[in-house]
Amino acid sequence: MKTLFAVFFAAASLSAASYDIADILTASTVLDTRSKDWKPGDGLALEVSGMDWTADGKLALTIRKGEVWILDGVLDPKPDKVSYKLFASGLHEPLGILRDGKDLLVTQRTETTRLRDTDGDGIADEYLTAGAGWNVSGAYHGYAYGPKRDGLGQLWVTLNVDMGDHADNKAPWRGWGGILGQDGKFVPMVAGMRSPCGLGTNLAGDMFCVDQQGTWIPTTPIYHLRKGAFFLNPEGIASENLPESPLKLSAKIPEKRPYPEALKALPEMRPPAVWMPYNKVGRSGTDLATCDAGGKFGPFDGQMFVAEFTDAKISRVFLEKVEGEYQGACFPFVGGFASGIVRLSFAPDGSLMVGMTSRGWSSLGTKAYGLQRLRYNGTVPFAIKEMKAKPDGFELTFTKPVDVARAGDIASYRMTNYTLFYSSAYGSDEIQSAPNGIVSAKVAADGLSVRLKVDGLRELYIHELHADGIRSVSGESLDHADAYYTLNRLPKN
Amino acid sequence: MMVRLALVLGAMTLYAEPLVTGFERFHASTPTAEGGRLLYNELGCVNCHGGETGLPALRGPALATVTQRVRSEWLRKFIANPASVHPGTVMPQVLAKADDKTLVAIEHYLASLKPKTAAKGPAKILHVNGARGGELFNTLGCVACHAPGKDFVPPEGLPKSSEFTHRSVGFGDLKAKYSLESLGTFILDPLKVRTDGRMPKTVMDRQDAIDIAGYLLEFQGSDGRLDNPIDGVVADKALAIAGRKAVISARCAACHDLPKDAAAAPVALKKTEGGCLDADHAKGPRYALSEAQCAALKLFLAKKDETASPKLAADLTLQALNCVACHERDGQGGPDTARKPYFQGDHNLGDTGRYPPPLTGVGGKLRPEWLSKVLLGENRVRPYLKTKMPQYGAATAELGKLLGVADARVALKFEGGDDTAGRKLMGTQGGAGCITCHRWGDRPSLGIQGPDLSNIAARLQEGWLREYLINPAAYRAGTLMPSFWPAGKSFNPAILGGDTDKQIASIFKFVESANGEPEGFPQNRNGEFEIIPKDRPVVQRAFTDGVGVRAILVGFPTGVHLAYDGDKGGPGLAWKGRFFDAYLTWYSRFPTFEKPIGTQVVAWPKPVGHFLGYRLDAKGNPTFLNEQRGVKVEETYEGIEHGLRRTVTWVPTPDFAPTITHPAGMAVDMKESSAQGRRVFTYLWK
Repeated sequence: MKTLFAVFFAAASLSAASYDIADILTASTVLDTRSKDWKPGDGLALEVSGMDWTADGKLALTIRKGEVWILDGVLDPKPDKVSYKLFASGLHEPLGILRDGKDLLVTQRTETTRLRDTDGDGIADEYLTAGAGWNVSGAYHGYAYGPKRDGLGQLWVTLNVDMGDHADNKAPWRGWGGILGQDGKFVPMVAGMRSPCGLGTNLAGDMFCVDQQGTWIPTTPIYHLRKGAFFLNPEGIASENLPESPLKLSAKIPEKRPYPEALKALPEMRPPAVWMPYNKVGRSGTDLATCDAGGKFGPFDGQMFVAEFTDAKISRVFLEKVEGEYQGACFPFVGGFASGIVRLSFAPDGSLMVGMTSRGWSSLGTKAYGLQRLRYNGTVPFAIKEMKAKPDGFELTFTKPVDVARAGDIASYRMTNYTLFYSSAYGSDEIQSAPNGIVSAKVAADGLSVRLKVDGLRELYIHELHADGIRSVSGESLDHADAYYTLNRLPKN
Repeated sequence: MMVRLALVLGAMTLYAEPLVTGFERFHASTPTAEGGRLLYNELGCVNCHGGETGLPALRGPALATVTQRVRSEWLRKFIANPASVHPGTVMPQVLAKADDKTLVAIEHYLASLKPKTAAKGPAKILHVNGARGGELFNTLGCVACHAPGKDFVPPEGLPKSSEFTHRSVGFGDLKAKYSLESLGTFILDPLKVRTDGRMPKTVMDRQDAIDIAGYLLEFQGSDGRLDNPIDGVVADKALAIAGRKAVISARCAACHDLPKDAAAAPVALKKTEGGCLDADHAKGPRYALSEAQCAALKLFLAKKDETASPKLAADLTLQALNCVACHERDGQGGPDTARKPYFQGDHNLGDTGRYPPPLTGVGGKLRPEWLSKVLLGENRVRPYLKTKMPQYGAATAELGKLLGVADARVALKFEGGDDTAGRKLMGTQGGAGCITCHRWGDRPSLGIQGPDLSNIAARLQEGWLREYLINPAAYRAGTLMPSFWPAGKSFNPAILGGDTDKQIASIFKFVESANGEPEGFPQNRNGEFEIIPKDRPVVQRAFTDGVGVRAILVGFPTGVHLAYDGDKGGPGLAWKGRFFDAYLTWYSRFPTFEKPIGTQVVAWPKPVGHFLGYRLDAKGNPTFLNEQRGVKVEETYEGIEHGLRRTVTWVPTPDFAPTITHPAGMAVDMKESSAQGRRVFTYLWK
């Protein structure tokens, strides 16, 4: 067993005062795959690509080189005596890991593999094919993610569209997501994704996935995955003609028009539950994790935390179901991580493990890779906790009582709404921007919520709120005064 | 009217008026004096009536060679009524009343201008490939101004007619005008004929130009010798004298370069009504001006003597030369929706990888010396754009200077700067990692291949660089470039105390010093990731040449290696010596197929079963688990000296024997393969 000593420090940079970032292991020159002198075997390049927890509370993680490591001690108050044990190796760029009883399931480029330790020595000795059936062309961009288990126990896997040499998006299931059948065969469920890197459920057990801004994807979306849905990127749609396909588009791809118009022109298209506006709430979403920490991660139980690569930060998402469709708001949360974030996983103790690797892409996080832990320090942040749609506006709830005079003043708020352009281009500007008038702001008796009446609400548009004027009763400003609500449907009541 | 409908998309409406794209696109909807200024220059008004537009001179094509370049019949028709054979031409009708005799005389006069020294005839065209020409025409940037071909489908599909927001520069009937040779020669260097740069020169090989000509002429077959040549005209002296008189009276020399004895005197402009603005006026050139064109010209004429500000002159010059067909400036221009699909490039760079850069503030962005080179078509920094920046000749001689004045920003000169810190900041060891995405001279970056940074001190103005680094998206929305100094706050407080100004100055200083390359620059690591099995076998999956994407590579310490096919379940390749280099699989952003790096590679026939997984025993030897015709078959491999031992086992059942194949080029020993449900093979290299 090899022990690596790691530096511990709390980084306050860009993070709210309520959360501390602790290093478990981040790249240094010696261990850095990017260093001139690094060679295979020189050290552990912890390019984290998947994380889950073993039954006895250790962290199992995959790294891009193709290994599974079991880390013990990462939840120590001062994680400076973490032990690392190599559990499996030789995998092909695994990008997800899930505990299944005593086994671990990992999804590599070409298959989902069951790793079993049959002799109990802590090292996998069986690598069994547990899921397969999608085409792999050999193109660099042909990644596979998962598995993640939904509330029904189904294991979900998602697949990138191909790019670059050997790319073949006409071959089966590129840009699709699906579940693994009893026989391990990939059963396609949803289509129209580009780089669906981050799978995860909400507390109800519904499966969600965060995709990334790029061709056909105007900005980072969060999809609710369910059978027959088509989302955005049609590059791999040819597979709809295969007999296993759960969907067949009934109209041409309605490209080059504002997203709301495109959506109306294609019945199978499903709107993302949340759009995360480019630059304002990160650039390339990579993972999501729902908080079920019983208050140990602050006042955000039931909310989703979304990892972001380029800015190396984490955002927060509140979801609600309106007329049968999920929708909701995203909020900036905490930044300043060491490297491009790829994976998030809530630990048994309610802290959030943050797995990172920047290989090949650039990130504000300057380290090549790393593992950090985000911990709530008990100081309640002053934040907009929830933003709910109402037939004539929104209801905001706060984590602490607000200054009633300010919260009741419509001048404390500004709102605009806009949509995005649906086309094959890489990303989109915000289009059709229009201001929303704040008609009234009524503060609840307990000072924990405000009911806003708002003019000019538009279905399918993103409603951007700036509540800069809000103060808590003790005069604090909001940690983040901006919120972005994707109003897919206006509630009837 | 001979519009080539097969070629032209979105040009179904026939227009009578002359086409000045910049006017139609940016000024036609609300006529202004600025639009009028553009027209006054671009319709050649200024050439007769004088004045200072601030724009590069519009000149007619060279006439001394015209009878060698274009067909006689076409030329006479064009002279008599230009728009009838070339819709949209800015050449007005100046000889409406000329009879055939006059037209022939003019032709002889033009033929008499031919240079006396017999130029060597052009090299014979042996081969022409119109399909290739079509590919070039539709991707090099020709279609920024001209209509794209219907027969060329860009990757995103053909645009709809409704997506063309402005007219394309038409061709008229090219077959009636040109031979393959003369059109090819024109395309190769239009500036020789059109000295005013309104048809710029895209640098290309002669064969490229011939192929594009073949495409535009719908040339049948590939044998260039079947070209229908232009006969040319041998000038008759008497006719030429008569022709010269007609040319003088038509005042051709106002726009065309002609000998002194055909000069045209200026025509004073006395009123701002009637005259050329009236479509039916009896004397002088006839323009079929649109209402918007007339209105704009009148607005301009009312203040004709006002000097254009540098900004206006620069903006209008960019419109006159149609730079804005490819480049956006101040939120205007750039390729329209219909043309966007024809701008291709490196799709890993997003929109910045396919569309030419914006020209907003370009005179305050590029250093003057650099900008003047760019305008000559040199100093390309975006080799990934398939469209090529063309050359405009004399028309852009003053443009660099003009843009410099028009876009001038408060001069910023970095002070101090520490080139060692700059080197670190640009590197990957705690720096911003610029070279993760940017090339450095000839050296490719680690990931996407963004523009070269080794030249930015010569290329960029300091003030612009500082602003850009703090907020790249302000300059170009949708750029992949992140800010490492968001809102002016440095990403790395540990270097130079996190002082943004010092950090940026240091980057500039380092590039300027040309002293080495950014720290931690990714070396060519190919060859440095060799896996050497020492004590135990090493198993690694990788895309592998000759086996496929599901290959499982097994290296044994005895120096023999196996690539197993994890798709159908069976051995694929074996080799001796060195195992393989995992550079692509373990390091590169763009992994493709790995190859054995040893010797004596042998191959098995493609397997026939179904792969289920593998087990590793205590020594690390793999046992592969397969299924053949519903029966589970397992096989274990061990490395021995100069060979491999393969043990195949299955539960014996009647009527079943597994399919087991062997590679050519190896000795196979089957002595131990006697037991039921078990076969052992020893493979030795010969």
